Amino acid sequence: MATLDAARKSALRQELEAIVGRGGVLADPDELLVYESDGLTLFRALADFVVFPTAAEHVAAIVKLASREGLPFVARGAGTGLSGGCLPAEGGIVISLMRMNRVLEVDYDNQIAVVEPGLVNLHLSWAVGPRGYYYAPDPSSQQACTIGGNIANNSGGPHTLKYGVTTNHVLGLEVVMPDGEIVWLGGRTRDTQGYDLAGVFVGSEGTFGIATKVVVRILKKPQAVKTVLAVFDAVAQASTAVSEIIARGLVPAAVEMIDQLTIQAVEDAFGCGYPRDAAAALLVELDGLRVGIETQAEQIAHACRDAGAREVRMARDESERALLWKGRKSAFGAYGRVSPAYMVMDGVIPRTKLPYVLDRVNAIVAAHGLRVGNVFHAGDGNLHPNILYDPRNPGEEARVVEAGAEIMKLCAEVGGSISGEHGIGLEKADFMPFIFSAADLAMMQRLKSAFNPTGLCNPGKVFPTKKSCVEVGPVAYRAHPIEEKGLAQRF
Amino acid sequence: MPAVPLDKLRAIVGPAGVLSGVELSPYVVEGRTPETAVFPGSLDDVRAVVELAAAEGIPIIPWGGGTAAAVGTPIAPARSGLVLGLARLNRIVEHEPGDLTATAEAGTTVASLQAALKTRGQWLSLDPPDADRATVGGVMAANAWGPRRHLYGTARDLVIGMTVVTADGTVVRAGGKVVKNVAGYDLPKLFVGSYGTLGILVDVTVKLRPLPAEERLVAVRFERLKDAAAAARAVMASDVIPNALELLDAEAARALGGGPTLVVGFDGLGEQVDWQCGELQALVSPLGGAGVQAMGADAWPRLAHAAAVALGHQPAALMRLSVLPAQAGEVMEQAAVAARARGLVCACSAHAGVGAVVAALFSDQGQQELTRVVATLGDWRSIARGSGGHAVLEWAPLAVKSQVPVWDDAGAAGRIMQRIKAQLDPQNLLNPGRFVAGI
Repeated sequence: MATLDAARKSALRQELEAIVGRGGVLADPDELLVYESDGLTLFRALADFVVFPTAAEHVAAIVKLASREGLPFVARGAGTGLSGGCLPAEGGIVISLMRMNRVLEVDYDNQIAVVEPGLVNLHLSWAVGPRGYYYAPDPSSQQACTIGGNIANNSGGPHTLKYGVTTNHVLGLEVVMPDGEIVWLGGRTRDTQGYDLAGVFVGSEGTFGIATKVVVRILKKPQAVKTVLAVFDAVAQASTAVSEIIARGLVPAAVEMIDQLTIQAVEDAFGCGYPRDAAAALLVELDGLRVGIETQAEQIAHACRDAGAREVRMARDESERALLWKGRKSAFGAYGRVSPAYMVMDGVIPRTKLPYVLDRVNAIVAAHGLRVGNVFHAGDGNLHPNILYDPRNPGEEARVVEAGAEIMKLCAEVGGSISGEHGIGLEKADFMPFIFSAADLAMMQRLKSAFNPTGLCNPGKVFPTKKSCVEVGPVAYRAHPIEEKGLAQRF
Repeated sequence: MPAVPLDKLRAIVGPAGVLSGVELSPYVVEGRTPETAVFPGSLDDVRAVVELAAAEGIPIIPWGGGTAAAVGTPIAPARSGLVLGLARLNRIVEHEPGDLTATAEAGTTVASLQAALKTRGQWLSLDPPDADRATVGGVMAANAWGPRRHLYGTARDLVIGMTVVTADGTVVRAGGKVVKNVAGYDLPKLFVGSYGTLGILVDVTVKLRPLPAEERLVAVRFERLKDAAAAARAVMASDVIPNALELLDAEAARALGGGPTLVVGFDGLGEQVDWQCGELQALVSPLGGAGVQAMGADAWPRLAHAAAVALGHQPAALMRLSVLPAQAGEVMEQAAVAARARGLVCACSAHAGVGAVVAALFSDQGQQELTRVVATLGDWRSIARGSGGHAVLEWAPLAVKSQVPVWDDAGAAGRIMQRIKAQLDPQNLLNPGRFVAGI
């Protein structure tokens, strides 16, 4: 980790302020603490500076400065990531894109929008909604997460079952390369020539450069939406229903599964209308033409009943539909009702392995003396086991990490992957060998070298590495320095 | 220059898998005859052949069905290298209907894969031309597509994994077998459209879709291309969800009965297809469209070549213009005006919803019209750029290619591509010199 003495830090601060203005640089330890982790609070690392550029030229100047000084730098959006991907693992500069949050242009004729990376995902759909359009990738954190962060992680969401993940919706990017050059990868047209640079940039977890403008596709809102809730007395029945839906040639927009523990937490928190005694529920959404949607909904209902659903009902109106989705999308928050902390896993398995893997996941977690809640994208086999724990109990956190690693191994064993949408970041870097050979990883390293030869751009991520300056430990309450000084109070 | 070690190659793949002499004639590209053509029968064979070629410094030209072999910058390399044919690697490795995924070896033809998937009610939603010859690996490498990309996207949207032999003979697994996967970099994207310059694709894993209950292709004829283009835009802004949206100018539509024509595909439940055809009629009538006419299913594969075969003889050049979708019609008109101004005839078709225009240029005479052909292609490239896009010279005789760059200027991105090539193929052995930015 780069260590800066006070004189050098002060000089650098002045240089950074000359680029972005005095209000655009954080350097005091109290302020930097806010940026020490992302949504995965298990990992923490402190930056030397957090900088808030408002233009691509600022980003380029900051990157050039960092390169000159040999300081690592990492881009950060809203910090909702769940793998530690935007942590300053080796110190240096955090470049926050949160002040670059504009919709620059919407071209409805060509169904594209040009946006800045700090734009909140949902705000794009709000911006184009009045004209009947929306942005399809819908991570559960879409009220807070940014398009830039989505690009880094190639984020998904419930409706990506039908509409694809972020990479399927990004046409081009203006990128500040790790050497400070501003380059366009892809563009506004659907096709580009040469290697698919935009395609490899998306999902590169901030290690290939920093996107400063993004061209995304926007879609016409479907004419009709139909949401089906199927209730089961056994998790295995719900898993079977997923297979039945696929086997019947149906293509729902989303198929989400929610287990009992999660249903109860959600009902305690929000009262969304899920039956508390159900072992599992499937939330299935169809969209598209008004014609035929009733027929398809009936087919879904049949598939669920044939799999043993005790109840199948349709959302009667938009408000009931919104409530069901609120339950699904707020599930992570609702775990706060039943546990002081949880760790979300993000494995992917072939859909046909769902019943076996869910059983095994529950057994693994139980064997470590812990509880798990499952709420996940069943339609594409993207699991989210949430392991509940109390960080104040000595040793419990270590058991969570062990159980997590076993679940990742299980996903790999059945031919799956260790991440469907959250990214590798710091969290899963050491799990990469579960699914990739040394040769596979070496090829990824060579690709990285073509973009980021010095390695200063977001070091310590994706690849299994020597330990970096990251603190891993209990996330129990610690007083913030401003509390200690009596400047703020915790309620 | 040392001779290509035929004996060593025969030892790897067996004597029948190594061609020489007149057997090489199908593999002659732009007058270059390869030193040999080698047909490995397994992943390990591929690895061993590449390892040998790398050790001897022999260039490798990966070869699937050969349908895109002529695409690329003409070159006069020091040695013509060996063709590495994947035709023997043609098995479907795995198809798990419940997972909606399949893995096929690279030499599997698209048609045979589709036929196998169809028996289980599924398909790969990619419909490149010449499906009976085009191979799964070749289609990925050339990023080939067809009309249904309007709804279902291109290879990059469908591929989830690949086995690749890199330039030094290392076996690399890119991606995986599951439909959603962000572990590590998205390597499969790198190989889609790479024209064999980064590695040899040995097998490919793809996402599948259930076959729709019904599919229908319909045509609407217009008096003016302008109106047909307006109709295409109206369809895009409407509630219908076509799986294809093709715009053909009067020349390209000759085989369909002539007149600028909008061809639209619909799939889904029967009632959905019916409703959409009715809706289409309501959309096109005010814009001067004639009645919606159903076409036979056999019309689908003909759409890809509509422009190229329009005049019944070989075109002087084929150019692919990638432009903003809403400007496809205007670009087609401008291309025709430019050709006419030079005394030439052209035929254009477009996947209108994605802005992929194919323009075929025709001339009666060879040599004396060369200057006019070259000038027109230059005009077309300017037209594409004027619409925020670019143009690729898909096919032309060597005389034309020697004067018109095949690829458009890749700008600063081209330098990143060169760095990637240098990282993955430092000896520059894989299909050297044929690709973008001199790669």
